[in-house]
Amino acid sequence: MAERESVDTLLSQGGENISDHLELLALMGADFASTRDLETTLANAVDRITRYLDAAGGALFLLDASGGKLRCHACSGATEISGMVIDSDTGIVGRCVQENLGEIVRDVSKDPSFHGGVDAETGFTTRSILCAPMSVKGESIGAIELVNKVGGDGLFAPSDLSVLQGLSSSAALAIVNARQAEALVEQERVKRELELAAEIQRSLLPEIRPEPFPIHGINIPARTVSGDFFDFFEMEDGTICFNLGDVSGKGMNAALLMAKTASLYRCLGKTITSPGKLLGIINREICETSTRGMFVTMVGGHFDPSSGIVRLANAGHEPPLYRDRDGTYTALEAELPPLGIMPMAGPEEDFPETEISLEGGTLYIFTDGVTEGYIDGDETLEVAGLKAMLDANADMPAADRLNAVISRIRKTDRALRDDLTLLAINDAGPARQAVGVGLLRINFRSVASELKSVRKAVKGALEKEGCPASLCADLVLVIDEACQNIIRHAYKGNAEGEITLELRLDGDDLVVLLRDFAETVDVSKIKPRDLEDVRPGGLGTHLIREIMDEVEFAPPPGKSGNLLRMSKTLERGKLDEA
Amino acid sequence: MKHEIRETGGASVVAFEGDVDLETSPTARKVLLDCVGLKRPMLVDMSAVTYIDSSGVASLVESLQAARKAGLNFALVSVSEAALRVLQLARLDRVFTIHATIEEALEG
Repeated sequence: MAERESVDTLLSQGGENISDHLELLALMGADFASTRDLETTLANAVDRITRYLDAAGGALFLLDASGGKLRCHACSGATEISGMVIDSDTGIVGRCVQENLGEIVRDVSKDPSFHGGVDAETGFTTRSILCAPMSVKGESIGAIELVNKVGGDGLFAPSDLSVLQGLSSSAALAIVNARQAEALVEQERVKRELELAAEIQRSLLPEIRPEPFPIHGINIPARTVSGDFFDFFEMEDGTICFNLGDVSGKGMNAALLMAKTASLYRCLGKTITSPGKLLGIINREICETSTRGMFVTMVGGHFDPSSGIVRLANAGHEPPLYRDRDGTYTALEAELPPLGIMPMAGPEEDFPETEISLEGGTLYIFTDGVTEGYIDGDETLEVAGLKAMLDANADMPAADRLNAVISRIRKTDRALRDDLTLLAINDAGPARQAVGVGLLRINFRSVASELKSVRKAVKGALEKEGCPASLCADLVLVIDEACQNIIRHAYKGNAEGEITLELRLDGDDLVVLLRDFAETVDVSKIKPRDLEDVRPGGLGTHLIREIMDEVEFAPPPGKSGNLLRMSKTLERGKLDEA
Repeated sequence: MKHEIRETGGASVVAFEGDVDLETSPTARKVLLDCVGLKRPMLVDMSAVTYIDSSGVASLVESLQAARKAGLNFALVSVSEAALRVLQLARLDRVFTIHATIEEALEG
């Protein structure tokens, strides 16, 4: 308040000397520097300078964003013209802004640039004008104009222009600062909104499910939001509906189309079980409503964990890679263009479907961000690099395998050039645990003393199923023998080892799954003994093979250990008799 | 698993009762091999064996071989259904001499 009073004191003195000018400018500069309400400060400044320089009126014009119009932001004195808009090349104020030069026009009637429009509108008669541009770094953002000097000879003096120019410079700086602050606030707001959008987008991704759940995915956006997506969810019949897509572009528009496509798939996928039909419907929907030029490449399908069969349709997406148990790859090419490019009419709107039996292998679906990701300098991963990485980490759990690929690409200093998305569908193969109905699942330590209760549990479970006593005795023996092999050969006497036994009934087949966490056994060294060679030991494996229909070591779901899968067809007639 | 050793008609009779499995077969093996040291014909009464696994069978095979080496007769007697099934699966029902009763064994 003290400052304002001193400015008013100066004004009332109508001072002409330089020290008064400097003091006024200093005070008003300080005012600009400390203000939180620029509009009011500008209005006050115009009012004070108008009175200080003894003009009949004053106005502050600012260029609009386009630079084509000048708008009056504050005025003082004779006429109220706040909000008035004139073309930026009109009148003396226009010339002052365009040429970025202050001027004194002593008689407007002799200046051809004089517009007169304001006078016509307000009824005021302009005789003389003092005008100073507001500029920062040589660029004009507007001007302050004073009209009709009241005192003295009625003419503005060069010293008046100096004072006005001093003021207009401070005002210009204050305005530019305020605009920059505003832009910063806006930037922050946009950033926050992007982060919120990213959060919502992440929530569209399915929850990570631990092994032995067969599907694992990962999505790393190149920017805050992603144009890639993947999803999977279980159907009532035990199959898993999955998809992976890549929307053209990477910005907010891609993210929005991603959200739309993913939602359509999730919603429709719950009732439409044919992936080809589903992609056909989504294609039509996107073609109808999508922004021109945007499209989505997508692989959608169903996985049946009980059979290991994948049925999928591919709309213009990178060919998914199937890696069989022996490490041989097969690429599944797309047969039709991406979604959103052209609607197909009639029954042919279904996308063709491919069926593949994974047989214990893994199906990898990925976006081109992965294969085109930089690994060293300008070198990109490519499909060959991806295969090599998957081979090198074949023994890892699926989630770790995917993470290894991602970290390879993120290891370089270069920013991601595209979103990274990978999906793995892991078939347990012969180890399929979700098969059939569970009869028994027990965990026990690798010691001989546990076996009696294991036999009792197995016997109980089989008897409950109506298994005939003789077959029941054989199966109990087999399981006991298999457990002994684990205790003696896999854990080598370590009593702290853990063994999991699972009995399942898959149709007429009894499936026995025995899992241990010991070092992986070299299967080639396990042979049934030669029966002609009568000697103690080595009988267990023979007994197992003698009784069971199928016996095999399956790749264990985790990093280490062994999974023995054995099966025996139970003749239903016999079960029913019993 | 429980066991009993007795002498009948000049032979050592070893009777097992219960489950002969990975946990108990080391005992069965020791009992049988100790018996071989008695230098009498051996009869293994298996009427009360409720369960036998490959480790139990292996103990029998090892004892049979030890007895033969020592020139002793070695026979199984009253083999329970459960034990007989395992011997059949192992094709050992023809390797072992099997008698229905102790009496029959002693006569033979």
